[in-house]
Amino acid sequence: MLDDQPYRDGEVTVGGVAVRYRVAGPDNDRLPLVLVHGTAGSIDGHYGYIFPMMAYRQKVIALDWSEPAGDTVELADLVAQVKAVIEAEVPNGPVTLMGYSLGACVAAKVAAEMGNKIKNLILAAGWLKTDTHQKMRNDVWRQLRDQDSASITQYMTFCAFSPAFQNLKTLDEMKAAAGMLKMSAFVDKQMDLNTRIDIAAECETITAKTLVIGCTFDMMVPKHHSKQLFGAIEDARYAEIPSGHAVVHERAAELFHYVDRFSAQPDQYEAGAIIPAQKP
Amino acid sequence: MTTVTEILIIGTGFAGLGMAIQLKRTGRDDFIAIERADDVGGTWRDNHYPGIACDVPSHLYSYSYLPNPDWTRVFSPGPEIQAYIRKCAEDEGILPHIHFHTEMLKSTWDEAKKRWVVETSKGTYEAKILITGTGHLADGHMPNIEGLDGFEGDVFHSANWDHSVDLEGKRIGVVGSGASAIQIIPEMQKLASEMVVFQRSAPYMIPRWDREYTEGERRLCRRDPSVIDEMRSEIFWAGEFNFAQRRNIPRFLNEAKALAVRHREDNVKDPELRAKLTPDYEIGCKRLLISNTYYPAMSAENTTLEASALKKVENGKAIAASGTEYDLDVLVFATGFEAVRPPFATRIFGSEGISLDAHWDRGMQAYDSIAVNGYPNLFIINGPNTGLGHNSVVYIIEAQVDYILGALDAIESQKVEVIEVKREAEDAYMDKIDRMSQGTVWLAGGCKSWYVDDRSGRLTLVWPDFAHSFRDENGTFHPEGYMMNSAPVAAE
Repeated sequence: MLDDQPYRDGEVTVGGVAVRYRVAGPDNDRLPLVLVHGTAGSIDGHYGYIFPMMAYRQKVIALDWSEPAGDTVELADLVAQVKAVIEAEVPNGPVTLMGYSLGACVAAKVAAEMGNKIKNLILAAGWLKTDTHQKMRNDVWRQLRDQDSASITQYMTFCAFSPAFQNLKTLDEMKAAAGMLKMSAFVDKQMDLNTRIDIAAECETITAKTLVIGCTFDMMVPKHHSKQLFGAIEDARYAEIPSGHAVVHERAAELFHYVDRFSAQPDQYEAGAIIPAQKP
Repeated sequence: MTTVTEILIIGTGFAGLGMAIQLKRTGRDDFIAIERADDVGGTWRDNHYPGIACDVPSHLYSYSYLPNPDWTRVFSPGPEIQAYIRKCAEDEGILPHIHFHTEMLKSTWDEAKKRWVVETSKGTYEAKILITGTGHLADGHMPNIEGLDGFEGDVFHSANWDHSVDLEGKRIGVVGSGASAIQIIPEMQKLASEMVVFQRSAPYMIPRWDREYTEGERRLCRRDPSVIDEMRSEIFWAGEFNFAQRRNIPRFLNEAKALAVRHREDNVKDPELRAKLTPDYEIGCKRLLISNTYYPAMSAENTTLEASALKKVENGKAIAASGTEYDLDVLVFATGFEAVRPPFATRIFGSEGISLDAHWDRGMQAYDSIAVNGYPNLFIINGPNTGLGHNSVVYIIEAQVDYILGALDAIESQKVEVIEVKREAEDAYMDKIDRMSQGTVWLAGGCKSWYVDDRSGRLTLVWPDFAHSFRDENGTFHPEGYMMNSAPVAAE
């Protein structure tokens, strides 16, 4: 008998499009945890591990982005979707907000705009301002996409996982994993948005107690970006996971550990602390 | 004559020795470890059957503070683990603290003396603090088989292997299909003229990603020990990931099951045999086993799988529950250990004179998985709710040792004479464990396993969560759970 966790689906309308979200887990003394996925992601794609495991600990809310109307996606569109879900599901009282990758940029901006509503903030593999290194990778991606290259998913997979993780697999297994990635017009727009991120000014205004998580072997959003967030956000502490960008797959349990500890005890480490890795 | 010591440790396996090393390292010298056998190593000393190895990669299955660059394989064989433990004891100067051939017979809390009085095979000891490190895999479980006395061939348990018996060309019966059995069976298959495996229930099996480390890799570990830390971290967190299977989350459980099904289908071609080797419960409910050699051995021509228990021995024949009779020369019992009701508990008597075993009449339990109300000044390492289905127990042991060191710090600094866990704290902890256990594969997976106490249906052996959360929750002493009575200050 499998342990099918009870969960509830919800929906809000933002800018004329329906945004779906999922709620699970008990109400208790922890603040509700709101999860925001990253580029080309989804609740199951990026939080397939964190969502159900955290729901054994506390209330968890996660949303799937919906493609907004218009030719481009702007950070403000995604921010509006996250805010709408929070307002619908947690009308009163503060929340803990977590974002991963582009979702971290979204979450940071939400925290800047919502002030005290976002009491705690977790930013995993996010960034402050798109830099040349990221633009180089994104530009190669754009060319492969324009050529409709079959190699694009393999390139994305190559960039997403650390060498050590890839070396635990065979080439065929890595290619099979790449084959599961799906391209779409919405992903194209997210990739375009990735070239234009600049939340430096917003980050200076974030008051939330923040945990920044960088990934040691991240080739897509190298850890210096997380260090920049750690510097820019006043009440931030920093942890690092020896993983590639795809930390939600590669080191899901270690990511869970940080998210769980911080959600339970946001005060465990003071602002400015670099949290030591657990040495098993 | 009574030997008096501040701290007495029972057992010198990974738990007892790990405790002793940390006592020594923290400047505590007034301790003795008693050991019933003639060497350290615990289960790795006792279990020397052909094919013995560990299911946890060696770079993790070792003390974090004593890394070993010289492991020869990802999963090193048993004798190598035993040699490692022995070397740790020597290097850390623990051997002079160990009294070998000294079996604990009865430990009694003496209320007047505020001491444990420990009777052993070598005399009486008195200690202020008693720490058990007797493990889950200490005493072999022998099923009660009718007529076994009348079996004319050799009979022994896997944890007490009789190497004097020549097995070459013999008709060998192996009873069991658990973690020991699946390591023994491929070795017996090579030796036997015929082998019969008595299987009550089929285990789940996944591939063993084992390989030899090259000399270059070992040299690298010696030259740059940070490489070992990285490996430990990688192995540990990969293991932690798999807790989602035990938590019984469909997506992760099904991934594990698919791996096991593929392994079985790749290695067992005969559909009838495959059906017998297919478990009838959910994956992970019993210990998930890893082997690349088990299925080939079970598929070999000289192997017969008897998919029922060994029921009795009659007229020299081994008779299965199915009624089938076998003529055998040797019976090997790979039938596991007394884990749910550990024999040490029958020998420890608390402040009310009741044995721990009787006190645990509805199953083992302890506050923070370490202390029991009514049993003052006693700490149990690797006792109730400390087992894992997905990671290294050495990690759990280290967390418990840290906890005890914290308790000792409090005892010493506050001159505590008697420390005893509060009943309500213990009950609250067990309520938490019960809540955490609900819906896990151990309770909901539809199997009978050593993880669950069948008197209460409670999960008593396993910590039903991540290993890392065990350390987060139970790796630090919690004084609030205890009553601590300090010694009266002597008048000057």
